[in-house]
Amino acid sequence: MRVSPYDEMLQSGGTPRPHCRDYWGWLEEQSQECLARKRSEADALFHRVGITFAVYGENSGTERLIPFDIIPRVIPAEEWSRLEAGLVQRVRALNAFIGDIYHGQEILRAGVIPAERVLCNAQYRPEMQGVEVPGGIYAHIAGIDVVRDASGSFCVLEDNLRVPSGVSYMLENRKMMMRLFPELFARHPIAPVEQYPDLLLENLKSVAPQGVSDPTVVLLTPGMYNSAYFEHAFLAQQMGIELVEGQDLYVLDDVLYMRTTRGPRRVDVVYRRLDDDFLDPLSFRPDSTLGVPGLLTVYRAGHVTIANAIGTGVADDKSIYPYVPQMIRFYLGQAPLLENVRTWILSDPQDKAYVLAHLPELVVKEVHGAGGYGMLIGPAATATQLDDFRARIRAHPERYIAQPTLALSTSPTFSAAGVAPRHIDLRPFVLSGREVAIVPGGLTRVALREGSLIVNSSQGGGTKDTWVLGC
Amino acid sequence: MQLRISHRTTYRYQEPVKYSAQMLRLTPRRDGEQHTLAWSIQAPGRRAEQVDAHGNITHLLTLEEPHREISIVVTGVVEITRTREVLREQGMLSPLAYLAPTALTAASEGILALAREHLEGAGPLRQRLYDLARGVCASVRYRPGTTAVDDPAAAAFERGEGVCQDQAHVLIACCRAKGIPARYVSGYLCSGSGHQGDAASHAWVEAWLSEAQGWHGIDVTHMEPAGACHCRLAVGRDYLDAAPVRGVRRGGGPEVMDVSVTATTIDAQ
Repeated sequence: MRVSPYDEMLQSGGTPRPHCRDYWGWLEEQSQECLARKRSEADALFHRVGITFAVYGENSGTERLIPFDIIPRVIPAEEWSRLEAGLVQRVRALNAFIGDIYHGQEILRAGVIPAERVLCNAQYRPEMQGVEVPGGIYAHIAGIDVVRDASGSFCVLEDNLRVPSGVSYMLENRKMMMRLFPELFARHPIAPVEQYPDLLLENLKSVAPQGVSDPTVVLLTPGMYNSAYFEHAFLAQQMGIELVEGQDLYVLDDVLYMRTTRGPRRVDVVYRRLDDDFLDPLSFRPDSTLGVPGLLTVYRAGHVTIANAIGTGVADDKSIYPYVPQMIRFYLGQAPLLENVRTWILSDPQDKAYVLAHLPELVVKEVHGAGGYGMLIGPAATATQLDDFRARIRAHPERYIAQPTLALSTSPTFSAAGVAPRHIDLRPFVLSGREVAIVPGGLTRVALREGSLIVNSSQGGGTKDTWVLGC
Repeated sequence: MQLRISHRTTYRYQEPVKYSAQMLRLTPRRDGEQHTLAWSIQAPGRRAEQVDAHGNITHLLTLEEPHREISIVVTGVVEITRTREVLREQGMLSPLAYLAPTALTAASEGILALAREHLEGAGPLRQRLYDLARGVCASVRYRPGTTAVDDPAAAAFERGEGVCQDQAHVLIACCRAKGIPARYVSGYLCSGSGHQGDAASHAWVEAWLSEAQGWHGIDVTHMEPAGACHCRLAVGRDYLDAAPVRGVRRGGGPEVMDVSVTATTIDAQ
């Protein structure tokens, strides 16, 4: 028997939660036809803006629209402020951890985390050992995926500290809602999010190399074939900075330059949306044509800031995630405000035995997987799929972790059959510079298929606007 | 022992190169038992010197003037006083950083079998390492000119022959598969010492024996400890971390590379 999930808007019995009473009243007055019209209006507008998402593993056409749901996800102010405090605490600890790993490794010496789990991890970058970064900040932009459990409390499902994406949907979804339903914004105190690009730019400038007073910031993209290229172009345009590819940059001596029509221009901060492996063919993958030869040398000399820093993957790897609560206690001396989801590490024999015995109840994920690929959802799996995963786990236990199947919270969502509950998660974006800041809200992803728990856009997920009320 | 080293690398391009960047690891490491008495690098363009995380002395060479040729010449004298079999070197990296496999040192089934055969037995680790080195040399026979620089260990193992780089990668893959930290060393081997192939440019392995002992240098190709004839240029997780030269260029078309290396003992001159 499955636990019934927490609904964001409705209490058991179908009455609206206090913070949604106004909105729910309004929604009930809208006809299905009117909502359907708004929905197709949104689709048409998004097509015009060109906000699309490339889907890997699909042969036909590489881009499609991420479905947008016109019913927002609503978070009351006091709940948001508790969540915000938990996120700030978590990201502070994660940054402290990365700094510690690339310097004194106190947490390993203290035996809090087994040293080999960190230092033998493919995401640990020896190249970063001893490198000083401005302000000791590594994860300047963190996308922390949170979900609610059946009791309604928030917990963290995953930290994204490498090149987290999705913030453009947060911004575009808000613009769309304001356009479709201006009257709702007049009657609800909805906290704004449109300051995000300004905040991000300010944040990137605040971590420029020492002594640089008016830093030049660029956004480095792998190019138009990347699934998030739209977002790269969008953010660069919003911030008023250059969108560059590796070939637009070059190193001379130990300084980074950008080719411009008016000659070379020195670059101080690189907001990169390119993975570590591709950043510098002289130090990482030699076959990368997307990066900048010599970039690591400039970085180690302290002449450029790279955001996020190289090597942040050592803190968001799925095999490191179970230790984040201990990091918070170790570095901050505080109890974690946000809980983790219980996680079994299959390289641990005891954990493996438990998981193999309970596979039909659990979710199994690849340690290095992302985007909902290569994952098993026990309760929804066929006997063949379960057998296949049992074999995979036995062959390579170190490649997998397992978690309980969460009863992700639901939110009313517009569907062909009317308004119906669908499972959602939330990715707020945490900015760390001189201070830690979060715009109130984030990206709410929704599993549009009835009963589905996979919110990834590559697997049939959509997005919603996220309202934080009364801030 | 004093070694006089001269190493010239010349790249010639069919068309002009607009820009090039090279990462050089062509300056001997400072390790307490290896002292550089004289060393010079002659190369065009600009040079930025650093010490990388492995403790290697690196020079980033950047050229933005169009060129059809790059010539890098290093010459110098190094005194090696290695008498012990283990290195006393306090590096920045934990030995565990040399335990994770890399693309070039991933173990295939065949390599795993070789590792099990030689490393799982009883006896001191040092002894087992030399058994393993013999096994590697039998499985990957030394044959110059049989390999590409980006060949992974598994490919060399399949082929059954290779150069010192391949033998080093296979031994490293075996060690790591059995939980022994191991790293790649690139350097010079003095000539006239009766070594097979007599290549002055050489590669070998350092394996971590224990906290008390430290790193032990093992010349896989010659199945002997790295000694006073082995000048250490650079260490790393594999060839890519320790390569004497790694370069990237824009333009230039096909290239011709010409390398000449000599490493001679000064007493012998």
